[in-house]
Amino acid sequence: MQDTEQMKWALLIGTLAMLMMAFFVISFVIYYQKKKFEEEKKLNEIEKNYSKLLLDTALNSEETERRRIAQDLHDDIGTMLSLTKLSLNQLSKRITENGEKEDQIMRKAQSLVEETILHVRRITRELVPTTLERFGLAEAIDEFIHKLEEGNNLTICFQPGEEELPRQGQKIELTLYRIMQELVNNAIKHGQCSKIEISLEMSKDFIGLRVADNGIGFDPDMIKEGKLAGLGLLGIESRLAIVNGTVQYSKNATGGSTALTQIPMQAVSNSKPEPLHPFRRERVTL
Amino acid sequence: MLQKYLFYFQYDLLSSISVIITLVPITLIYQRKAYADPSFRLLLLFLLVKLIIDLLMFHCAATRVNNLVLFNVTIIFRYILMSGMFYYKFENKQVTKFIMPLSVGFSFFTLWDIWYCNPDILNLHLHQIVKYSLTVESLLMIFWILLYFKELIGSLKVPNLLTFPFFWICSGLLLYYSSLIFIAPTLHYATQWDVRLDIGLLDRIPYIFDIISITLISLGISLFSARYYARH
Ligand SMILES: Nc1ncnc2c1ncn2[C@@H]1O[C@H](COP(=O)(O)OP(=O)(O)OP(=O)(O)O)[C@@H](O)[C@H]1O
Ligand SMILES: [Mg+2]
Repeated sequence: MQDTEQMKWALLIGTLAMLMMAFFVISFVIYYQKKKFEEEKKLNEIEKNYSKLLLDTALNSEETERRRIAQDLHDDIGTMLSLTKLSLNQLSKRITENGEKEDQIMRKAQSLVEETILHVRRITRELVPTTLERFGLAEAIDEFIHKLEEGNNLTICFQPGEEELPRQGQKIELTLYRIMQELVNNAIKHGQCSKIEISLEMSKDFIGLRVADNGIGFDPDMIKEGKLAGLGLLGIESRLAIVNGTVQYSKNATGGSTALTQIPMQAVSNSKPEPLHPFRRERVTL
Repeated sequence: MLQKYLFYFQYDLLSSISVIITLVPITLIYQRKAYADPSFRLLLLFLLVKLIIDLLMFHCAATRVNNLVLFNVTIIFRYILMSGMFYYKFENKQVTKFIMPLSVGFSFFTLWDIWYCNPDILNLHLHQIVKYSLTVESLLMIFWILLYFKELIGSLKVPNLLTFPFFWICSGLLLYYSSLIFIAPTLHYATQWDVRLDIGLLDRIPYIFDIISITLISLGISLFSARYYARH
């Protein structure tokens, strides 16, 4: 009798221990799984941030490099050309006394130097969007399309939006400007269009940039399948990734293509950036 | 006859409930269309077999006929179908290779056990519960479940275990077999006409955990979503 009683207790305790183990295993699995998943998520986040940072740095250094080249062009070559022009002027005074032929060559050389100076000026301006930094997006786009329209028979309309666009962060302005440049270049290069419409759209939490052309257009699905991506469209994507923006391409009903870029409005922190000197040699804070 | 059933129902309420509650997961499987998943098809088959055998055992018990031969046969069915569920769930094909041969081996072992415990196999009136098979079954099933848990943790495929149907089914089975593993060897002695060993209320434990595990299995099935399954 005593024995069975003892055995009953032993059985009970054994079973309870077994059940406790089962409970422990079940809760451990739940807990561990949850923890591991969270860790995984955190790691993904870090990875994403890191690649964003890398991209940001790459684009930053590209902008810095452009600035450096522009500055070197301006300071070194520009100065030398000015000096050359000065010397030529002095020389020309002496030559006029000598003869017709030399005078002609002199004039030619002078105009060539003059032209070169203009070219250098233009190139440095293109490398660094001075207008953008001084006067903002609308002015910069205006200037850009005026320059384009000059030599080509191409109409570019620009609607800067209903109300005056407040100044955005430098980074956003530059991003939108470079995207606009690439989209317009594409429309001219591939679209064989005669008319381009650019518009800026502001809403409460988005800035939109719409570029539409009336050219041959392209199939937006081809981009997703990776068949079309040249450097330009890829560059647009990566610029947008940094500022959490999106881009949508669509085919117009009348032919041609439209690209709509949207960037979420950032908190209005430094809405009035100091107008930077275009050639100041310092790291650009994009 | 009905009176006998009713009387036995009241007399052994716990085991009667454990018979009837099997209807819950069966209806749930039909309702949630869980039979789309091969593992759940096996579960459904097991639940149907269990229901039929339990009803037969209930009938025998109510009419005071020895029903232990049915109990012994259930062990084989239960192990084959339950470990079969894992055959479809394990990602590691190295593991699934062992499930079928082990099922066959276990079936033969149980048959031998039945024959060993009942020298006079044809005398159903004096039939006895097997001595070892129940313990071996519990050990093997706990092994499969723990192995499956290990794979679940390792693969990180399921974002939230609390909404993963098969996790609850495993939990139910783990609790059931954990409760059974120590009781199992004594059942052979406790369930004889001339009770040689009285384990008292301890023999209620399998019924209690039968009900608990069926409840957890029902919970798992109710989380089953045919659309989710189709996506994976
Ligand atoms: N406005 C457009 N109209 C018609 N086709 C376009 C237009 N924009 C882009 N495409 C098509 O998409 C392709 C990819 O353009 P993307 O700007 O990425 O590369 P790219 O202009 O060829 O090269 P890159 O910009 O690097 O000099 C182009 O080759 C062209 O076929
Ligand atoms: Mg391009």
